[in-house]
Amino acid sequence: MTTPADDIGDDIEDADPGLARERTQLSWTRTAISFAALGGAVLKSRPYAGISILVLSALIWKLGQVARASGAGRARPRQLLLIAIAVTAVSIAALVIALLGPEPSGLRP
Amino acid sequence: MSNQFLGRQMVRLPARAGDGKGVRTDPSRHDNSAGHAAPADEAEPDARFTFANERTFLAWSRTALALVTAGLAIVQLLPPFPGVPWGRRIIGTPLILLGSAVVVISYLEWTGRQRALRRGEPVGRSRLPGILAVTIAVIGLVAVALTLLSGVTRH
Repeated sequence: MTTPADDIGDDIEDADPGLARERTQLSWTRTAISFAALGGAVLKSRPYAGISILVLSALIWKLGQVARASGAGRARPRQLLLIAIAVTAVSIAALVIALLGPEPSGLRP
Repeated sequence: MSNQFLGRQMVRLPARAGDGKGVRTDPSRHDNSAGHAAPADEAEPDARFTFANERTFLAWSRTALALVTAGLAIVQLLPPFPGVPWGRRIIGTPLILLGSAVVVISYLEWTGRQRALRRGEPVGRSRLPGILAVTIAVIGLVAVALTLLSGVTRH
């Protein structure tokens, strides 16, 4: 392979996809924050479900921070499948709460 | 944003595949993506394409989470519609279902795109914006109808 110095062309990322990797890590962080926000919202009425979602958000944050040195830029189907399964599970739980939960009176002004 | 990034880069892919710079052709890298072994005409795409595809999926997963959160908040936090006791569930439940559909479809699209990138094919368009627009428009119309119905039945 060519050395990084030979590789720099019209795009600075030709030599090293470092910025793309960083954007992707930040995207994982935002996904984890979205999970944490949902967990915090659920925490008040359903503590166990809320804590589970918060633990899940920490795990997702960790997945985003995993060093990619061994396989930088390779597809990670398992990690993404975990996200897909987690969101599906959370939506099923939300559906159960919405349809079978007690009739809430809503926030009073 | 990520979609645009992916589309812009794809225009350049055929030229880059020819000079051997954009696409890695090391055979040891062929067997990792989407869980099945790749034929000889596939190559591991440029890391930036893989990252961009991953970010697109993550952005859709956040959209799905926002839909689920909004649906749950409507059912749990909104004051009830006077005269329409099932009103909040009618609006909130489809939003939650839409969220789970969005994350499943976006995962399937991620898999398809990763395969297209390995083969050097165009990634194609996502169906999700259309699905999202139509469904949210229908839910909005239902919400308007419920609000009007609630106003009529109160008197």
